[in-house]
Order: sequence, then C-alpha cells, then structure tokens
Amino acid sequence: MLTELAHAEETLKRIEGHKGVIGTIIVNSEGLPIRTTLDNSTTSLYARLLCSFTTLARSTVRDVDPQNDLTFVRIRSKKQEILVAPENNYLLIVIQNPSE
Amino acid sequence: MSTSVAKEGKKMRCAVMLKPSKRGSNLLALTSRRSFTFSGSKILDRMAGPTPRQAVRVFDEENNDVTPQPFYRADLRAEPGSRFLVDELSAGSTSDQTTFTGSFTMPFSRSVLDSSRISSQSTTESVNEEMEETFCRRDFPFNLPESLLPDEKRKKGSVKEQMTQALLKGIKDILITETDTISLLDIPPTLVSVNADDADVIIEINKQYSEVCRNRRNNEKYVDRAVQTLNGATKNKQIQNNLMLMVDTATIVSAFEMYAPPEQEVMVYSPEMKQTNDAETIVDSRRSPERSLSLTCSASTVISTCSLKDVETVGSSLNTQVDSERIMTSDKFQFSLLLMERTVLRNNFQSQLAAYRKLPLLQDPDRLVKPKEKEQSEAETSCSPALQCLWVFSCELSRGCRVSSMAWNKKNPDLLAVGYGETDYRNHGPGLVCCWSIKNPMWPERIINCDSAVTTVDFSSNSPGQLAVGMCDGSIAIHNVQSTDNKSPFISSRECAKRHLGPVWQLRWNQQELSFTGEEKVESLYSVGADGRICKWFVINGGLDCTDLMKLKKMNNTLRKTEQNKPEKTAECVLSVLTPGLCFDFHPSDSNIYLTGTWEGNIHKCSCSNGHQFLETYRKHFCPVNCITWCPLHPDVFLSCSSDSTIQLWKQDCINPLLSFTSNQPVGEVRWSPKHATVFSAVNEGQLEIWDLNSSFLDPVIVQPAAPGLKMTSLLFASLTDCVVVGDSDGQVTVYQLQNLHVGESSQDNHMEPAAG
Repeated sequence: MLTELAHAEETLKRIEGHKGVIGTIIVNSEGLPIRTTLDNSTTSLYARLLCSFTTLARSTVRDVDPQNDLTFVRIRSKKQEILVAPENNYLLIVIQNPSE
Repeated sequence: MSTSVAKEGKKMRCAVMLKPSKRGSNLLALTSRRSFTFSGSKILDRMAGPTPRQAVRVFDEENNDVTPQPFYRADLRAEPGSRFLVDELSAGSTSDQTTFTGSFTMPFSRSVLDSSRISSQSTTESVNEEMEETFCRRDFPFNLPESLLPDEKRKKGSVKEQMTQALLKGIKDILITETDTISLLDIPPTLVSVNADDADVIIEINKQYSEVCRNRRNNEKYVDRAVQTLNGATKNKQIQNNLMLMVDTATIVSAFEMYAPPEQEVMVYSPEMKQTNDAETIVDSRRSPERSLSLTCSASTVISTCSLKDVETVGSSLNTQVDSERIMTSDKFQFSLLLMERTVLRNNFQSQLAAYRKLPLLQDPDRLVKPKEKEQSEAETSCSPALQCLWVFSCELSRGCRVSSMAWNKKNPDLLAVGYGETDYRNHGPGLVCCWSIKNPMWPERIINCDSAVTTVDFSSNSPGQLAVGMCDGSIAIHNVQSTDNKSPFISSRECAKRHLGPVWQLRWNQQELSFTGEEKVESLYSVGADGRICKWFVINGGLDCTDLMKLKKMNNTLRKTEQNKPEKTAECVLSVLTPGLCFDFHPSDSNIYLTGTWEGNIHKCSCSNGHQFLETYRKHFCPVNCITWCPLHPDVFLSCSSDSTIQLWKQDCINPLLSFTSNQPVGEVRWSPKHATVFSAVNEGQLEIWDLNSSFLDPVIVQPAAPGLKMTSLLFASLTDCVVVGDSDGQVTVYQLQNLHVGESSQDNHMEPAAG
C-alpha cells in the first residue's frame, strides 16, 4: 500500500518535471480537485470544465458503441495541450506546452 | 254513439271536426276533450278558458260524432250504480271545490282508475254522458256562481237521498266490464319478422333501396346536394379561473444511459458539503446549474451537490485526504499515470519517435520555427550515410554504470533490457538491470537491482516475460519483468553447486526441437562462463541446475606441441585445463550447432549432442574473441571480433576466414544488420563503425566517434527499424538512426559469393 502510494507520488513528480508540463491536477469523482500544482482559481476552472467535457466525451463514445469506453482525452490548442486520463472515480489532468 | 266512439278507437288517424253543440255548457266537453286523448285523434284547438257556453261536438271524416264524452252521464243517476258513482264523484268533488282544474282532472284520473277497478256497467261514453249531465245540472261546487245551477243542487240532494235509501235496502248487481286498452304510446318496430305477412314486400323494398344506394354514385339520377344548416348566433360567456402554475421539466436520455446503469450515480452523496474555502469555487458552482447541460445523471448530481451551501471545513479536508489516498493507491491510477507520462513524453519526443518508427514527421503548425533550426535541418539533408542520434536512454540510477549488455524482448520489440555493471575483475560492485521502453526514454519501466555486476542479459522466447541475467559472480538469475515487484528474482542459481565459478560471460535462450515430438520446441538456457564450461540450465525444485554441455579445453598447447613436434608436458597448464569462453552463438536454423569463442582466440564449432569434441576449430585471432555472431540472412556465414582489433568474416566450412576487417581499437562487439545481409556494425571503445560490404571492405561506411570520455561498450541493432542502440560506459544507451545507407534489398547470396571467392 505504502509503496504503491510512494510509487504513484514518484511518478507524478516525474511527470511534473518533464519538459513543457505546466501543471497537473487530480480531480475526484465529485469534481473537486484533490491535488494540484496550479493555483486555486485555475485549478477549479480546469476541474469544473474538464469534468463536464469528459462526461460528454464518454457519453459520445458510448452512444456510438455501448461496449466501447473512453480511455484518454487530449485537447490540443494553440498554446497548450490538455491531457485527461478519465476513470470512474477520478480525473488525472496534465497541461503541457509541447512546443517549448 | 257508442259504436262511433268504438270505431273511433280503432282508427289510427282521423280528422276530427269540431262542431258546436247545444248541449249545456261546453265546459265539460272541452275539458273532457282535453282529458281524453284517443290515439290518433287530433285535437284541433284547446280552449283553456271556460268562456264558450256552447257545447262543442267533434265529428270525424265520416261525420260520426266523435265528441269525447265525459265520463259521467247524468241520465244514469237513476240507476243505483251510477248514483253510487255520482255520490262518489260528488264526494270527491267536494274536496276539490276550490280548484277548477282539479275537478276536471279528478274525473279523468277516476276514469283511468275505473277502467281497472269497479266501473259502471256502461261504457265510458255513457259514463261521460252521465258525468256531463251531472255536472251540468247540479251545482258546480267550483268557483261557479251558484245562481247558474240552483235547480241541480236540489236535484242532487234528492238523488242523494234516494240513493242512500236504495242502497241500504237491497243487494244491487254490479256489472264489471273492462274498457278497451288505451294505447298511450305506440312506436311500431322497424324490424319485421321474416314470417310476417308483408315480409316479402318489405324485403323487396329493401333490395330496391340497396340497389339504389349502390347505383347512386354513378347514376345521373341522383345528385349530391349540400345543405347548410343555420348556426345560431354564438354567445360569449366569460369565466374566471385560478392561474395554473406550469413547470417545465425535461431531460435528455442517451443510448449510453439506457444501455448500462451509470456508475457515477453510485456516488457518495453526503449532506454536508465538501467545499474548499475558495469563494470563487462556490460562486462558480452556483452559477453552473443555470447553464449546465443535463447530460447524465452524474453531471446533474455533481451540480446539485455543489449548489448546497453548507460547508464543513473539518469534514471536507479529511474527506479529500482519504479520497486522494484511495485514488492514488488504486491500480487504475498507476496505469493512468503511466499512460499520462508516456503521452507527455510522446509530445516531447514526437519527432524522434516518429523517425524511429519511420513515420512521416509532421510539422507542428503552431510551433514557431526558429531560423537556426531551419539551417540545421537544411544541413542535415545530405546524401551521405550518416547516423543521427535520436535520443538517449538515461536516468539517474544508471548514471555512471557501465553498460555491459543489452537485449531486446522477443515479444515486445519496444522493450530493451540493459545490464549495467563494472566487469573489471577488480571491483565486483552491485549490478543493475533496467528495462527500457521506447515509449518512455526518460525512465525505465523496470528496475532490477542485482547483487553482482551484470555481464549478460537475454530474454526468453517461450515466456517473453522471463529475463535471464548473468552476473560476475557466476550466478544466473531469471527475473519476471511482468510483475512490478522487483525484489526477488524468479529463480536464481546461487545455490546451485555446479554454477559457474567465474563470471558468466554470455547467456542464451535456445529452442531445441525434441526429436521424438518433432513440433515442440523446448527452450533451455545456455551459458558460457569464465570457468570454461558451457552449461545447459533447467529448473529443478525452484532452483536452477545445469548440465555441462562442453568443456572448453585449451587448444593452443596442443597446437604448439604438434608444430614443434616436441613432447611437451601439459603440466604447465594443469591449473586450468579449460579456457574461459567469452561468447557463443547458436546457428539460426540448426539449433544443435553452436559456435563459441575462447580467451585463446579460437573459435570452436560444437554440437549439443557431442560434449567431448569440437566439430571444427577456427583459428585466426590471437586475442580473446569478444563476440561471435551468425549472419541471420545468410547461412554458414559468421563474424567474429576480438581484442586484436580485427573482425573476421568466416564461412562455416572454411577454416580460414573469408574477409578481415581492421579497426583501430579492440572491438567489443559486432552485430549483423537484421535487414541487410551485407551490413554489420562493430563497436570498439572509441567509436561505432558501420560496415557495408557492398561499398567497401577496407573502411567502415559510417564512423561515429564516441563522446569524449565515454567508451562504447555494447551494441544492438533494432529489429524493425534501421536504428542502432549503443551502450557506453556512463550508463547511457544511445539510439542512432542509420540514414542514407544505400543498400539494395536483395543483397544476400549474390554479394556473399564474390566475397567468398
């Protein structure tokens, strides 16, 4: 248990240290951020917006084929890329600027 | 009279005429006429008032007098029966003296009753006459001036007296007759029985009608005509009502919701709200219900829970902490992290990975292309063969450790196992094995710490998760890379008595076909060690045990002996009869034959079935043979490299090498290219050389010098792409891409043959 937690911590820190990563947010099932490296307002903004976006994406995927499921969401914009790993009880969000 | 009335009753319709009659007051006639409604008789007039004094007589078409007669006739009063009736009537009428109408209705009702009860012997008309006369003659007890009928009064009284006396005296005969049935309402049925008399006529009529109906459409005789009904004027009426409050609710249901119950509904909904202390969060979440999309239940419940205002700060912090721990320790989270890391790195290494995978490089349209980069890219597009460094596998763990060997995974071509360790005899420090993935150049997928410096690694083919690690202390460990637990090896040969006494220089998994089964391939682990033994290992009782396949006896002494023709004792080398074997390689097609290179510089061709004798010995090198490799594309050709800075190309049945290549430093490893039969690569401490037999025998086509201070130690070709992986003494594994190597695809035998010649 502890080693898993430590491993997860370590991996998360590694991700945060990669080139171009602006920040990471972990959001729980209710849309509340539980761990973040960004400031509060940005975190709550991203959490709220991406929660509903992810549910929309998931329902789209499952409407097309009910046996399918969403595994990853990448939103590429001009200035950055938002990566979301959605699961049933959490959302892992990483914002990266890939062209640095 | 009676007969006319009787006839009258039977007739359905008849016109009735009114004629005034001279008889008394026609009041009675009128009223009686009104009272009696013979079926079919038409009453022309109704005169309500008692004004006409003349009696009206009604005649029908045949001039029969059908004047409705009153019930009671005066001339019957002589008879005792009638008197009785009159008495009754009078008695009854006295009670109704006040009302005029009442008296007239009374006889009527009486007459109806009489028809069922006791009545006079005469028919109704006689009763009528009787009644009429009675009413005419005697005084009207109802609102009529008494002066009109004074004499009737007297007569009535006398009649009364006579009657009572007569009644008291004797038995009177009373005749009871039934009146005719009075039809009050007669609606004839529209159904006619088939057996009726006029049934045939009716059937005929019906048929004609149906024909008419059928022909009506096309017949010119019949024309449809519309009739407009007059609509009455509408009248508006206004009412007032209470306002009904209407609430609109709607939801959008998607096929996803109907298919599976949404898992998000099983959320913990706690009445006390968990909210951060940030006011903005509260504001945002309150605003969201207004513009939320009611997509799924989960979304709406999220919003509804956010819109509650109670905040429990203590509870909230605890809950989030528990949540975060629970989330972060779950397996799915680990996987999400892995996925995320790879995605992030893929963004960073996109161009390199694309080059590795031979995908077209896409230009990022949003990326600002600096002029420096443009120049660089232009300079690189030269046509000469070159190596391009794609990336370097390096992490802090491996920094400073010397790369001793590398191996690709047989099943997953992206997985590379790298063994680190200082293999000098002086220090036997701990070793490390890292499994790197192409998808993550920054951090290894698996890290395995070994007790001793790692000298060789090899992946198994049958069970691709098993990695055999040979170490400096002579032990062999088999690790399972699929499990994340890297603590203990799967199997270890530490306890084996027959383990290698010196470093295990090379390990190989080899598949051998069992002769009796034919199809089945049994894989075994072979190793060659510094103690000069080639062993075959197998798993017994959770540990490894080996059998000696071959003992590498020293050959050079015997050779010198024969040359000098002097009997020399072998006592010199009694200490070590065996020479360390440094490398070996199995034949690609015939798994029974293998080559092994020794410390002495000899290359022996051996067979698995023959453990005592070498099949062949190739002598050329005079320094330890570091690497031997069969050509994968051309049978019978193999390469050997040695510390004497030469690379020899041999053919299996030829004692002497076909070709010789010189290098400037001791060559550590040599590898054939898996794609091109004429390309091979060699690495020595100072540089990486790519040789192409097509272009030159003397010089390598590409030379990549090592970075200053680094020594290149290990080499591998990537199987699917034209990349070369080179390990160096600083723990870095560099991936180079071969560019512009002009090699034809069909370069196999036709190039080898002239070389052989």
